[in-house]
Order: sequence, then structure tokens, then C-alpha cells
Amino acid sequence: MTAYRELAETLEEVARERGKLAKIERLAETLGRLEGEELRASARLASGSPFAEWEQAVTSVGWVTVAKAASEVTGWDLETIGACAAAIGDLGEAVGLLLTEEPPDAMSISEVDARLRELARERKAAAKQKAVEAMLRRSSPAEGKYLVKTLSGGLRIGADVTTVEEAIAQAFGADREAVARAHRDCGDIGETAVAAREGTLSEIRFRLFHPIGFMLATPIETAEEVTSELPLFAAEDKYDGIRAHAHKSGSRVSLFSRTLDDVTAQFPEVAESLAKLPGSFLLDGEILAWRDGRPESFFRLQRRLGRKAPEPGLLAEIPVAFMAYDCLARDGRPLFEEEWTARRRELEAISPDLLVSPVHRAETPSELDTLFDAARERGNEGLMLKRRDSGYQAGKRGRAWRKYKKALATLDVVVTAVQQGNGKRAGMLSDYTFAVRDGDRFVNIGKAYSGLTDEEIRKMGTHFRRITTARYGPVRAVAPEVVLEISFDSIQKSARHKSGFALRFPRIVRLRPDKRPHEVDTLQTVAEVYAKLIGQTGRGA
Amino acid sequence: MNEPLAPFLEVRPEGLYCPAFDAAIDPPVAARRAIVSHAHTDHAAPGHEEVWGTRETIAVYRRRNPEWTGEAREIGYGERLEENGVTVELYPAGHVLGSAQVYFERDGRSLLYTGDFKRRLSRTAVPAAAPPAGILATESTFGLPVFRFPPTEVLEERLVAACHRAFEEKKTPILLVYAFGKAQEVALALTRAGIPSVLHGAAWKLLPDFEAAGHPFPMSRAYETGPAQAGEALLVPPYCARTPIVRNVKRRRIVYLSGWAVREASRADFDAEVLIPWSDHADFPELLAHVADVAPEKVVTMHGYSRDLARILAARGVDAEPLATARERLSEDPATAGDPGEGT
Repeated sequence: MTAYRELAETLEEVARERGKLAKIERLAETLGRLEGEELRASARLASGSPFAEWEQAVTSVGWVTVAKAASEVTGWDLETIGACAAAIGDLGEAVGLLLTEEPPDAMSISEVDARLRELARERKAAAKQKAVEAMLRRSSPAEGKYLVKTLSGGLRIGADVTTVEEAIAQAFGADREAVARAHRDCGDIGETAVAAREGTLSEIRFRLFHPIGFMLATPIETAEEVTSELPLFAAEDKYDGIRAHAHKSGSRVSLFSRTLDDVTAQFPEVAESLAKLPGSFLLDGEILAWRDGRPESFFRLQRRLGRKAPEPGLLAEIPVAFMAYDCLARDGRPLFEEEWTARRRELEAISPDLLVSPVHRAETPSELDTLFDAARERGNEGLMLKRRDSGYQAGKRGRAWRKYKKALATLDVVVTAVQQGNGKRAGMLSDYTFAVRDGDRFVNIGKAYSGLTDEEIRKMGTHFRRITTARYGPVRAVAPEVVLEISFDSIQKSARHKSGFALRFPRIVRLRPDKRPHEVDTLQTVAEVYAKLIGQTGRGA
Repeated sequence: MNEPLAPFLEVRPEGLYCPAFDAAIDPPVAARRAIVSHAHTDHAAPGHEEVWGTRETIAVYRRRNPEWTGEAREIGYGERLEENGVTVELYPAGHVLGSAQVYFERDGRSLLYTGDFKRRLSRTAVPAAAPPAGILATESTFGLPVFRFPPTEVLEERLVAACHRAFEEKKTPILLVYAFGKAQEVALALTRAGIPSVLHGAAWKLLPDFEAAGHPFPMSRAYETGPAQAGEALLVPPYCARTPIVRNVKRRRIVYLSGWAVREASRADFDAEVLIPWSDHADFPELLAHVADVAPEKVVTMHGYSRDLARILAARGVDAEPLATARERLSEDPATAGDPGEGT
């Protein structure tokens, strides 16, 4: 039996290593010593969750529940816990620093795994809190730190899923590509690790209804950036909807969002129409607000989000459709390794009743810009460029797919602090301070008066009160959870914010519940946009 | 108006003021007369007409402000001055060379202003005293229980180990340390371990003041004399982390030495591979120990987590409140917080 303490120490050492190779090596060393259930659980926990992706489970323990449990175990009042988390910048780290003992009765990896699974099944916050307390009472500083990080949904040790895949390959002398393929097909890094150890990776087969990672695109700012590659790309409109994978077999349909959440019940008309199509398949596409054969704005689609089951009135008011643009499996055959051209053939062959995204071709940058304008004209965001000779790299951001949006269009940011507004909105938490990502941390870049409706602000206010980590007079620091899309007029250098930049006239475009905090734009992106602005105007903005 | 430090000190928008001596205490802007607890720039603003402090503090103040033409009044630890019925006396603070706590007394009532202090071992500062006082005006830079720092000896071991690992990897250890105090203590620890060091000019120029106090630096040289060679450690202030002096060292291992190093985020802030929580400030247990030893009737907290420390003390039955100056409030705004002062 291996102690969870040992895994926590490993994660700590992985976090301390700067180089990716050293991280992989350190993780491989520990995974290589494990087998069976312990290996399965450890590979998953090293990826940040006790669950396989296909399990569709989260421990769903809120920040406040964890903070209350930490308060009970450490003896510090809740306000001090919150202040510590804010000072350190991470609740898990703070809990680790507040724990001082190494309790003798160490938990095994399997015990931690079982307790986390039980926690997910538990519905009552009070019972969840008791369960977290019980674990923290038996935790060393490192254990407490990584347990809380696991509960908060991110280890932040600079090791992404690719790192864990590579560590598995190294630990068991398996081929990296084979590990990645098996992981994608079974949707479980734990099962993948065990198969790698036992030499049975090739026996793992793709299964429908296990959520799969999405292939992501690298942005381009100008058409000229891809001049030489243009003939190799297929161009499609970039839709302004909710990206989704549709799994279908017989009359069963499941829709998974980019966060790998099952959103089928939210879009019953999509599930219904796909169920009528022949065969089995896995499609990549976009759920769009759809009327009279045209996409409507995301603003309208937004009203359909976050509802478990929409009432008939809303279904009629805001109809949606699924715009398919890729086919990743058909009639039992996975197509991930097939070239885009072959996948596209399969997609078009499914049924004339399937809504399929039209494909365009551009040979020159100016043709591409013409296409871009036409896409905008149709109410879409811009263009997607897809290499015709590329496979589908699930869960990876590569250069085989490019997205072409208008420069300065918008930034995705995470809210770090909220403040009460003045005048009409006095007493409401209407002013948001928001941040972009810089490596493992968030750096503030601006503050905006909400562009949301009063009702939305009130609803958000309740949420922000719940995730408040510290109070400074009228200002509340909040856990970085809420993702917003903002637009702005310009970017300036600024000493006011830690990012070194400030946005001019930032406006909140919309909430982005489909994005996780670690998916917000990076400081690097901001710096690039800024550099481009300087280039355009020929002076420091 | 609430006067928590009466009758000794007034709380003014720009900081603390002592009417009996017509002197400002560690004023952040130029003052007519300033009692300066130590020579870090956030306590020793340039341009005072008159500076009162220990001999070492004044020497470093002069060296950091070579254009300064004001008057200096040296006060030794234990020397008592009296004015308008109030006596003032400087006690060692254990923070940096020459650092002092300021003790005020009148008719059996007393106030201890700690300035910045620490109670862990310092190799260059006289160990902190804890004279009993009725009012304690204490710093609270690290006034939260997450801030606990290991003993100096343990930190020195970690420092030496980090340098040796860098040498093994054929890298230059780059030590991010504040120019006054920590740089010299770190250079001395390296000297004892037989590791030669190259010092950034801001730290190098202060060595004569440490040598005058009996701390020689036989294994240190100035960065001006050339970049670090194999087997040498490079000491630069943290703000240099992303400047050419660091960037030009192709094979490097950056070590960040600060109380803020307990935060993993400082790894990204400073590109640091190694974080060593080495601070010249009291950690949380030391803050509590100081309150216990000084045994005041009232505690006023200032700098950093002043509100939190006051709340925690109050919960333990100590009459405590945070100092409310404009400067204190500024440091609590999350938009501007997290800019650590010198010597943290």
C-alpha cells in the first residue's frame, strides 16, 4: 500500500521543477513504482481529478465548504482563512501552510480515492464539509495542499495532460503516441496508465459516449501570417456559439461541451433531430441560436445556458441548431487519425438533413480577407482554417487549425475582485476587476462597470458573495472562477495593474460559463496585441 | 478623533509624528526632522533636513543619498534623550544593520514603536530587544499565520545547497536579495561556506558600512569588475530578475530569498527555480511572541496585514487595532497590494 503522502510529495517536487523534462521524469519515477488500482488512481490524481473524464463526475465542493473545513481543522476563523488564501493566492497552498503536523495515521492512495468519490456522491454541503475535515485531519502540509487543490479543480503544478501522458510513456517504456491515442479513446488517464504498464495499450478501443477533448486552434492576426500555407487550408466560418461534441448511436444522443460537461438536456431539440439521423457517429460542431436559416447572436443563445431543462416557451423563443464541422467516428470506426479531407467526406455522407458548415477556399491573403468579411457579414466571428492533411488532435492546441478573428476583438478574462457601484447601482456588486493568465497566476488588467442587466448583476452578486475570499471595505476579492468576455478600445502600458497593462474603455460583452479560468487569455496575448497596436499607430498608446 | 498612540505620537495623513520632539517617525516624504528606525528606503525617505538614528543607520543613509546635506544626530542604543517631559530611547530591532525600535516614556507611561524587526538570528543586526511598554506600535508585514519562516541556520543551509546544485549543473546561482541587509547577510553565509560572490552595485557600495561594524567580505567582489565566473554566485536585487544583468547569464538558477517566497506564485513572478523564505521581518509567531514579551495594554498594528493581525490579537483578548493612515489603506487595496517593501 502506498501512502497518498508519497504522491503529494511527488506533486510538490514536480511543481518545483522548472523544466518539462524534469517534471516528466519525476512523475514517471513515482508512477513506475505503482500498479493496479493505485496506479489508476495516481495517474488521475496527477491530472487533477480522481475521476476519469468519461465518468462526468466532479467532487463539486465549493470554496466556502473547503475554507470552513480548513477553519475547523486548523482552528483559524473563516475570515483569517480567507485572508490567508488571498495573501498566498491559492487556498490549497494556504491550507498547506496552516497545517503543521504530519499525522501518524497516513491515508493510502486508494483510501483518498475512495473518500473523494464518496464526496462527489454526497449532496449536502454540511456532510461534504465533514468529509473534507476528516481528510484534512489526517493530512500533512503537502497532503492538505494537494487535496484542496484537487477539490478546487486545478493542481497548477505546470504539468498538463500531455506531461502526464509522457510520464506514463517513460515510466513503462511505452510509445508516446500510443499512450496519447489510448487516452483519447478511453477517456481515462488512469486506465491508460494501467494498460501502458501491462503492455495492452493497443487493446484500448474508442467508445462512444465518453467525452473526448476538443481540438483547438492557434490564432492568427493577419491573413499574411499564413500566406505560404493557404492552399493547404480549408476555410470555414467561425461560429459564435457553444462548441460541442455530439455522440450518437441508435436513438441515443449525448452532447458534451468544451468543459466535457454533458449538456444534452439543455438542448433537447438538437438531441431529437440528431437521433433521427442514420448510423452512429461522433461529430464536432457548434450549437447556435438559429432562426430562418441564419445564426443569431450569442447574446440570445446565452439565455439558453445554465438551465437544466428549458421550458417550452424558451425553446420556441430561442430555437437552436447544431452546425456540424467534423466527424471523428462513424459506424464504429474512429477517424481521429484520418486526414481532414477524409473526415469531411464521412461528415457529408451522413445525411442531407444534417446541418454542415460550408467550406471555402482562399489562395491568397486578399481572397482570405474577402472570405473574412463575408463571414462577418453572415453574423459569424471570423474564419477557421483547417489543414486538409491533418488528423484530429483531441485536447490539443496545434497549428493545423488556425482561427482568424478581428484583432482587438475581445479578450477572455477572469474576475478577481468585485465592488459596489454608485448611483443607480449603489449596493449592487456591479464593478468587476478582472485578470488574464500569466503562467500559473492571474494578473489584473482592468476594471469595468458591468455591461450586464440589473438582473444578471444581482444573480452574479449572489455568486460573488459566495466565493468572496477577502473583504477590503467596499471591495471583495473573489476566487478566480467567473470568466467574462470583454471588448475594449485600446491597450496602454500601466503601472496600476500587476499585468503592466491597462485596457481603455473595457466593456463586458458576455459571461462565458463555457470557459474555465485557466482558459482565459494570457498576458502574452495582451502583449502581442499591444505590440501590434504600437506598430499600427507608430507611437506608444 | 481617535488617537491610539497618544500622548506620544499623533497619527497624521502622512504618517506618525512626535510633538514632544517635533519629529516625524519614519516619514515617507522629506521632513524637517525625522527619527529614522533603519535605512531601508521605505522608512528613510531622502531629503530630510534633520535625521536622528543610530550611527549605522545614518552612515547607510548618507551612502544611499550622497547629495544629502542635512544634519545628522547619532543616537546609540540605550542613550536617553529628553524633551518636553518625554524621553526617547533606541532599542535594537534585529532587522538590518543599525535598525532600531523607538521607545517613548513619560510619567510611567510608555510606547514601543518597532519599526521593522525580527527575532530570528541575524548575523549583522543586534538582536531585537523586547522592553515592556504600555502601547506597542508593531509592524505587521507578515501578520497572517501562513507566514512562518524556518530558523536562520536552516535557511542558510538551503541557500548553500541551492548554490551547490547550480554549480553541479554548471549554472550560475542568481540570488535575488534586497540590496541593504539581506545581500550582505547572504554574502556572509556564502563566505562561511566557501562560496565566492559577485554583488550588484547597490549592495556592493554598502559593504564599507558593514566592514566598519566588523563584518569583512573576503570572498565578494563587485559586478562592475566582470560577470560571474564558474563557481561564483551572483547577488542582485529582485527588481533585476528580468533585466540584462540576469538575462545575460545563459545558464542560471534563480533563487528568490524573501518572506514572500512562501507563495508559489513568486516562482512565476521572478522566474525563480528555488524559493527560500528568508526575511528580515518577524514572521507570524514572532509577532505574537513580541506582543507577549512587551506585554502592552494596547497594540496598534501597521504595514501589511495590519487589519488581520489586529483582528487575530483581539480574538485572543488583546486590545488591538490597525493604524488608519492613508498609506495603510492604500496597502490594503487589492489593486495595488502585493508590492512588497524593501527588506521583506
